[in-house]
Amino acid sequence: MFDLLSIVLKYVFVFIIYLFIFTIIRMIYLDIRSVDYGNLESGAYLKLLNRIDSLPYNLSDSYPVEGELTLGRQKENIIQIKDPYISKKHFRIIKDEEEFFLEDLGSSNGTYLNGERVLDVVRIGKGDIIKVGELEFIFIDGA
Amino acid sequence: MKERLNSKAPRKLLFLFEILSLSLIFLFSWEGIQTETYAIAVGLVLLIYFSNYMLGRISKGDNYVFLIVCMLVSIGIIMIYRISPDLGLKQLMWLALGIAMFFAAYFAIRYISFWDRLTPLYLVVSYGLFALTLIMGTRTHGAINWISIGGVSVQPAEITKIVLVFLLAAFYGGDEKYRRIKNAEILLMLVIYSFIGLLFLQRDLGAALIFFGIFAGLQYIYTQDRRLIWANLGLAAIGGIAGYILFDHVKVRVTTWLDPWPYINDKGYQITQSLFAISEGGFFGTGLGRGNPAFIPLSYNDFIFSAISEEMGIFTGIGIIMLFMLLVYRGFKIALRQDNQFFRILALGISMVFGIQSFIIIGGVLKVIPLTGLTLPFVSYGGSSVVTSFIALGILQGTSEKRGKAGIGNG
Repeated sequence: MFDLLSIVLKYVFVFIIYLFIFTIIRMIYLDIRSVDYGNLESGAYLKLLNRIDSLPYNLSDSYPVEGELTLGRQKENIIQIKDPYISKKHFRIIKDEEEFFLEDLGSSNGTYLNGERVLDVVRIGKGDIIKVGELEFIFIDGA
Repeated sequence: MKERLNSKAPRKLLFLFEILSLSLIFLFSWEGIQTETYAIAVGLVLLIYFSNYMLGRISKGDNYVFLIVCMLVSIGIIMIYRISPDLGLKQLMWLALGIAMFFAAYFAIRYISFWDRLTPLYLVVSYGLFALTLIMGTRTHGAINWISIGGVSVQPAEITKIVLVFLLAAFYGGDEKYRRIKNAEILLMLVIYSFIGLLFLQRDLGAALIFFGIFAGLQYIYTQDRRLIWANLGLAAIGGIAGYILFDHVKVRVTTWLDPWPYINDKGYQITQSLFAISEGGFFGTGLGRGNPAFIPLSYNDFIFSAISEEMGIFTGIGIIMLFMLLVYRGFKIALRQDNQFFRILALGISMVFGIQSFIIIGGVLKVIPLTGLTLPFVSYGGSSVVTSFIALGILQGTSEKRGKAGIGNG
């Protein structure tokens, strides 16, 4: 009985250890924090996952989401990206009663949430990955 | 296709690992099960859970290093308990003390800011500890590196190791006035070589190697005079050859490294048993409780890597090496993000201690480099080793958040 269990579990142990290492490497790669800090640094923000210097446009590392955050080609947007692939008004993130929603503003090439195209409005939470063209953002809710 | 990222996943995996391995240990010692076994199980899980939770609340710095170390500690303590329940219980107590010291060191770095102005104190403490060892030292396993205070044995060289990092950081990154002394760097070299010489006298080769490694590494990065690097390397080569000719115990290590098989019954016994154990384990190991780690002398201490490889497989062994690589990588990353020169060198030095020490002992038990007796940080049994490793980790944690611009998303 013990022998059998021990033999089965040795594979499980190796699997767990490697999964642990893999998760940590992935988190380091995405550069996010594993622990939430209460209200120390509250507020939600979008973090760019692409390397800034690999992109031809002027972007910063992260954008706070306060009320409304818009992305598009037009100057009125909070995140302006001069890329023909991106629509004039591409998407926006709205905060409504402590919950965050992602809305695609009828863009021609679409907004993708965790690999699925956003049709109109979806609720988003911590750790969601938003993709627009070649740009990838991770949504982090600090609160 | 990317799935949602679960940021608490590593913590959960850590607990899953602990619970599974502890239940296996319960089953393993079913007949002779004692209340201590429950104590170790509940103690370990609670200790690691609460310290992770607390750290997340109080520290805004790096949060990977402590998690990585928790995994290493869990693997280690389970293996130690399996080899000897008594030692496992003791190790748990050391671990509790170590984590307490981790937080103490973290707060000391966070709230005290004059660390870079204490150069003379570091010198006095280092020489003091050496003197103490030479006067009160007792010989174990060929080295005089233990002193016994009130029944508790401590290894002063472990503490000196950290003081040395502080000393080097204070010299290269702290007060200008020491660097302006004539031939300051040569004086520093003399001081470090006097440390290494004293360690040689105590026959503590492993510690001597670490001291040299830290010094050579930091000197390579920060020295103003590039010729000194060559001088240092040359002296090390001469010292190594002289050590081989003059000291018998160095000669033994080299002979058993080149070919241990003729001496399988005496001086090559340890290393050959270690190799047998690793090969016995294969890729996935024999399974916890099904191997014979007790055949290796000191299997719970210096040779814990072989014992783990035997029962949990070389894949777990490779996993341990990867965890150390990640730890050192995070340490370098912390150093790169740190603006203050003193704290940057401190973070660099501490990461180098972990890297060099694990390299020397894992390389030693695998017969890749000559064996020198050292503990595998966080994994091996040993009070001073666990406590000082945790102090070093606390310092690293402290340096990870001491920065000018505290920005979200930069962590």
